[in-house]
Amino acid sequence: MLNEWCEITNLEISAAKLGEKVKSDKSGAVVTFSGDVRDIDSGRFVVSLTYEIHPSAKKVLDEIVTRALGSQKEVSIAVAHRFGLIPIGETAFAVAVASEHRREAFEMCSKIVDSVKSELPIWKHQKFSDGTSEWVNCA
Amino acid sequence: MDLVEIKFYAAAREAAGVPHVHVQPDSIEEIIASLIKSSGELARVLPQCSYLIDEVAVRDRSIQVKGGSRIDVLPQFAGG
Repeated sequence: MLNEWCEITNLEISAAKLGEKVKSDKSGAVVTFSGDVRDIDSGRFVVSLTYEIHPSAKKVLDEIVTRALGSQKEVSIAVAHRFGLIPIGETAFAVAVASEHRREAFEMCSKIVDSVKSELPIWKHQKFSDGTSEWVNCA
Repeated sequence: MDLVEIKFYAAAREAAGVPHVHVQPDSIEEIIASLIKSSGELARVLPQCSYLIDEVAVRDRSIQVKGGSRIDVLPQFAGG
């Protein structure tokens, strides 16, 4: 069984695949989160979304997961964040957590999502159907 | 004297119009202040940014940045 696994990649990712990585005969619960690219943001149609990463992103992601896991050796976590151009409908960010019981898995999954959103050095650039574009959180 | 390299990411790079610039060594506070004075676009973006000096997060902005160092300018993160 795999305890922690992290990836920053420009290839396709999927929460279901991460779920397969973390599950074992010891896990009674597998919780997955899939953050997907949607075609609308604040009422405007998004035509493309591109993520840019800082070179430290993988190291920061490893630290987030190691810290979240702490001493809970019975929990397994897998996290992936994609960068580059991501087509509408595909997954940008995925988390899977396996644990003996559901509560730890739900809580850990939620905690990892929040930490990645606030700490991972990655930026999102959206292009809209009206020809405008913006860096998210910097408007 | 060696200069300090400033590397801009994402919205900061777009605001600067270039990926990096070189400046004279000074405190990080003074370096940021002069960049803000140099461009309206940077003045809009830089106050929301965080900074790394040679890959270490800056907490005390009065510290002196040595020549040959690199400052990374990181806009507010937007992962997920």
